[in-house]
Amino acid sequence: MKAIMSLGALIGVAGLLLLSGMIVGIVPSDTVRLIEGYMPVQVIAELILFVAGFTGISYMMSAMGMTFPRFWQGISCWAFVLLYLKFRVYPPIPFSVRAMYGTVSLVAVFMWVSANEEDWQKFKQPIMNVLDAKTGGNRLLRYAYLIILPILIGGFSYNAMVPKSEEPIELRTVHPAPPASTKVHGKTYTLQTSQNPYRVNPEGKYDQEYSNANIVEQGMGRLMKPNANPWDKDAQGYLKYVREGGEIFYQNCHFCHGDNLNGRGLHAFAFNPIPANFTDPGTIAQLQETFIFWRVSKGGIGLPNEGFPWASVMPPWEQHLTVDEIWKVVMFEYWHTGYYPRTWD
Amino acid sequence: MGRVAGKKLLSIMALVAMVGLLLLPIAVSLPSLAIGADAPDAVKQEGEQKYEKGRDVYYKTEGLAIGAPAPKTVDGPKDYPRYNFESRVLLWFANQQHLYYGSFVLAVPIFCMVIEFMGVVTKDKAMAKRYDQLAYDFIKISLTAYSLTAILGGILIFTFLTLYPAFFGYLSSIFRPVMHIYALMFVAESGTLYIYYYGWDKMRDGFLKWIHLSMSVILNVIGTLLMFLANSWIGFMMSPAGVDEQGRFLGNIWHVIHTALWNPLNVHRILGNMAFGGGVVAAYAAYKFLASKTDEDRAHYDWMGYIAMALGVAFLIPLPFAGYWLMREVYAYRQQMGITLMGGLLAWLFIIQATMIGILFLSTNYYLWQALGRMRGAEKYQRYIKYLVFILCCGYLVFITPHTIVMTPAELKAMGGQQHPVLGNYGVMSAKNGGINVIITTTILSFVWYMRGNKVSTVSWSKFGNIFMGVFFACAYVNIIWLAIYGYYIPANVRVGLSVPQVATTLSCLFFMFPLNSAMMKGAKQMGAIEWGKISVRSQYALIMLATAFTWMMGLMGYIRSSVRLFWHVNEIMRDNSPWAYTHTVGFAANMISFNVLFFWVSILFVFWLGSLGMKKAPVPAKAGVPGGAPQPAAGH
Repeated sequence: MKAIMSLGALIGVAGLLLLSGMIVGIVPSDTVRLIEGYMPVQVIAELILFVAGFTGISYMMSAMGMTFPRFWQGISCWAFVLLYLKFRVYPPIPFSVRAMYGTVSLVAVFMWVSANEEDWQKFKQPIMNVLDAKTGGNRLLRYAYLIILPILIGGFSYNAMVPKSEEPIELRTVHPAPPASTKVHGKTYTLQTSQNPYRVNPEGKYDQEYSNANIVEQGMGRLMKPNANPWDKDAQGYLKYVREGGEIFYQNCHFCHGDNLNGRGLHAFAFNPIPANFTDPGTIAQLQETFIFWRVSKGGIGLPNEGFPWASVMPPWEQHLTVDEIWKVVMFEYWHTGYYPRTWD
Repeated sequence: MGRVAGKKLLSIMALVAMVGLLLLPIAVSLPSLAIGADAPDAVKQEGEQKYEKGRDVYYKTEGLAIGAPAPKTVDGPKDYPRYNFESRVLLWFANQQHLYYGSFVLAVPIFCMVIEFMGVVTKDKAMAKRYDQLAYDFIKISLTAYSLTAILGGILIFTFLTLYPAFFGYLSSIFRPVMHIYALMFVAESGTLYIYYYGWDKMRDGFLKWIHLSMSVILNVIGTLLMFLANSWIGFMMSPAGVDEQGRFLGNIWHVIHTALWNPLNVHRILGNMAFGGGVVAAYAAYKFLASKTDEDRAHYDWMGYIAMALGVAFLIPLPFAGYWLMREVYAYRQQMGITLMGGLLAWLFIIQATMIGILFLSTNYYLWQALGRMRGAEKYQRYIKYLVFILCCGYLVFITPHTIVMTPAELKAMGGQQHPVLGNYGVMSAKNGGINVIITTTILSFVWYMRGNKVSTVSWSKFGNIFMGVFFACAYVNIIWLAIYGYYIPANVRVGLSVPQVATTLSCLFFMFPLNSAMMKGAKQMGAIEWGKISVRSQYALIMLATAFTWMMGLMGYIRSSVRLFWHVNEIMRDNSPWAYTHTVGFAANMISFNVLFFWVSILFVFWLGSLGMKKAPVPAKAGVPGGAPQPAAGH
């Protein structure tokens, strides 16, 4: 048991030192890299390691007769979460989400320190001591709080109320609801039932399973499947259409959406927000192929009322591409990212 | 002897009268149902000459368009008369208050039925008496709330008639065949409720008690049917059926009632009402606990709060799954509606909803951990609570991560796009399903710990049982989290299907671990009694938080469900042309919901006060909680 706890303590100390180094800037923030694609699991795994580390540290300190007071355990734990979110996770997390996470963490700390009466008594003892002010030091602290707290609250209030020249917060609707049907080049497409005419098997029939089996492997490197290379001169059917879609993409779209389809094209950073990142699981992977067809065809100017604040400069591609070209480019996007379009069957 | 037989006869007659009341609306409605597909040929032929044919917008069947088309309203005093105030907000208020009270008075009789049944089957006489008294106290509270529900229903109808006459006229013309059934069901409900309440003392023992219990079943059947009928109106407004494109009624009232969303709405509302009812009663008990002056009162209200919480949570656990089914049906009905709800305009309201759901489960867990404190011997579990907190917290953080993040343009730029590489993954359904299932599984684990808090299993296979349970829960967590991650690597339609094994994992924890735990705890050695009333005050605030979160969430979900129709009174059939056919800002909606919640709680406090005026105090055994005669707070415990 002691060995496990010692290991935990070691992990905890190492983790805390690394994090502290990153906060003060001694340790480069990419010392332990968050790897794209694995970041979400990595973050949770790191937090689990930290909890194991804290448990180990707490155990070892108790064993050495230096019990860390429950009050400071709670406060440190909360402070750790706030600092971790602020300095460890990148790109930076917007304040609104950090505020949500911080509040939940505070509630969790409260639940932990008040889960039983003994812990709760231990936790609130330092607070009660200051309020009771039976010693000189506590009396001094109480007076200090009496002065500092109103100043702090006043400062926060002033800061919240003072007029600022910052741009206002925007609640952007990323995926506005599409219309039931859309008219492109004179033909009406019902979004719920239309299919990509180029997503076909060797017999020329619509076959999502066949096309799914030939997309790029997801993960680091995004490798093409063996015998499924659209740039093979003998490629026919689905793969040939993917290649044609790719050609259209690199002639028209990659300037903004990037050659890796991650929204970081040559012109991307001229816009705010930057163009959609198709490799993110929250974009095309969430949507039906017809949704993408509608968005590509109609562009930013065709966003519906609820697409507030209509922050998209994408041209309505129906003015530049044929229907067939749009379907092919949409199919290429799914092929390249390794995602499957959403279906209802 | 003759007197007893007379009582029996009277009780059976009362029961028959109730069944008669239940059947009355159906008998009355038979002639009106005759118009339509099953109408006699003569009537049909006559109709064909008189009316045009129409095609059902949902069922795609043909029928005679016997109804008038949906009115094309214009903004003005004819279609939208108004006070000098936003009509929609007035209607919102009236509707919400009616719904709160309606839910309460529909849920409480179900509670009474369950508690009365527990009293009847409990062998411990003292406990049986307490259960019976508790059920009686509940129904008494519900009786006062019942009249308030009716008053609020009247106010709601007047609000509709006064402020939205064209819309209400159209809706009542569509539902004409069942409008009076609804009214008659109310008569049946009232009659049954009064016989049930006033017959309590007269039917206290033996066979008469079973008759009385049967009455509660009938009362609940009527109440549920009433709710189903009311649900059919909102179902029709969201996903109309039984009418053609112009909104003309095609003669088949079953099609109008049985719309695409009717069944999921029914299931979701029954569960929601029960969870809400449990929350309200638990908050009542918590308030009484905090105000109690004696240990005896504290013990009683502690026990009452626990029972109400346990019943409420029993219905809360399947509630997210019912909600998931409802959303799935919404998507299947109209993709746009689904995206507006969960990915578009209303997506942030769903984040608020997720936050509220998390609060409900967090409060429940916290209450259970506090409740361990009133058991001697439960200390061995308390030291591990911090790990449950961590697991709950992780599940909760993932569950509430927004897909559409609120941020300044500067933050957007710093983040390098709309999607965050970490948060973006938490903000989608695959992760969220994992998050909520982790939360629910942890809640089940907390319940298991509570159930065995002061006991030590004495069965010969207890060691094996403990290891088996530990491994089962560990595998459940691994399976849920693994499926959540795996969801990113498969097509969306398969991913949606992954929720089934995730839910099955969670439910198998519930359905296998509870009975296994009960089997292990049969004849267990008690380390100490449950000391009712010796629970921390924090636990009672958790109960109040639970109830407030329920109320707030009900208001929020009602608003979301209603506003998803956007600018339609009846989706794609009747357009809302009033000046208020826009979606409120999130801030305004939140303030309005909070106002409704506040009003409900102030008014229900008044109802509780009225109920307490004539409340009989429950006889509590002097030494409740001693080993051997310990009160058993819930089934299976």
